[in-house]
Amino acid sequence: MKTFEVFLKKAGREEFRHVGAMQAPDPEMGLMLARESYCRRAEGADMWLVERSNIIEADPAVLAPNADKPHRHNDGERIAEHRRSTREADQ
Amino acid sequence: MISPAARNHLLALADDEHIIGARHARWIGLGPFLEEDLAFCSIAQDELGHALSLYEVLLDTTDDRLIDHFALLRSPEDYRSCWLVEAPCSTWSDALVRHWLYDEAEVLRWQALSESSIDAIARRVDQALREEVFHRSHADLLLSKVLTTTTEAKAAIEDSLGRLLPIAAGMWDPLVDEAQTLDEGVMNATAAELGQRWWTRVADQLTSWGVTASLGTNGALGTAIDTAIDSAIATSSAQQRNRMARSPEFDELLASIQEVITIDPSARW
Repeated sequence: MKTFEVFLKKAGREEFRHVGAMQAPDPEMGLMLARESYCRRAEGADMWLVERSNIIEADPAVLAPNADKPHRHNDGERIAEHRRSTREADQ
Repeated sequence: MISPAARNHLLALADDEHIIGARHARWIGLGPFLEEDLAFCSIAQDELGHALSLYEVLLDTTDDRLIDHFALLRSPEDYRSCWLVEAPCSTWSDALVRHWLYDEAEVLRWQALSESSIDAIARRVDQALREEVFHRSHADLLLSKVLTTTTEAKAAIEDSLGRLLPIAAGMWDPLVDEAQTLDEGVMNATAAELGQRWWTRVADQLTSWGVTASLGTNGALGTAIDTAIDSAIATSSAQQRNRMARSPEFDELLASIQEVITIDPSARW
């Protein structure tokens, strides 16, 4: 059996979204069974199946260093902190 | 008004859809793998849906309780199902082969109703046929895959075909008042005509898969095909008697589908 990742896209300008995984003996059976597993209630107008073995996966250890670089996070937290302390100093 | 002859004809299809839906649904949780389990039980639901839509026309009501009572609480002799749908098919190869044989036939039976003089029936044909596209591709694809996996799997399928093909011939056993239904324009082909198309499709497909199907004591498909088929039809006709006789396994099946409704037949769901 092969494992497939299933992606669905609604009609219109939506993007494809990952909806889950499933097993099937081959791509042909996968496409047929995916319809019943993920698309019985018209959840999507288009469907992709990607065989999991074809996915290129990054090593979490390689990704990890990004977590210690807060200056790369443009979430405004430092400015908010600066404004808060200025406001408190004014009072 | 629907004539008694037309009623009989539609009841045969409705009861076949109901009983095969009930039989397929027995595989919930038991299918060979989860995804196939879901697909097969979805097909079971579709067949039950077809039965429901036909019972609605026959009873001229959408009242669930009336329909439930009619569907579930008749005496065995009042059902018009054929033996193929009544058979337990308790092995997966039997269930798969039955699914394929039945859906190959079901498409032809609905097509024959597409210009029915009964409007309410003609209006239901399109939806049923849309669902049958999936049923047939599912049966075809899965059966063709199973046949090419191992020699044991192929042998199991051939064994199931040998037992079920002669029983399946009973699907085409005409109802006694068929000629009248045809005159009324309820359908546009006799059971024998549809049966002939079905045997051709089934035999062609089996040949393309390299399968030799035995017809039990009647011979084998692929040899003296016409003689074997005629003989299978005669045997099934003697047993099923124009859909008037229920199979030996029917009483047990009926008792089990009545189990819940008989707890309180007056309950509203």
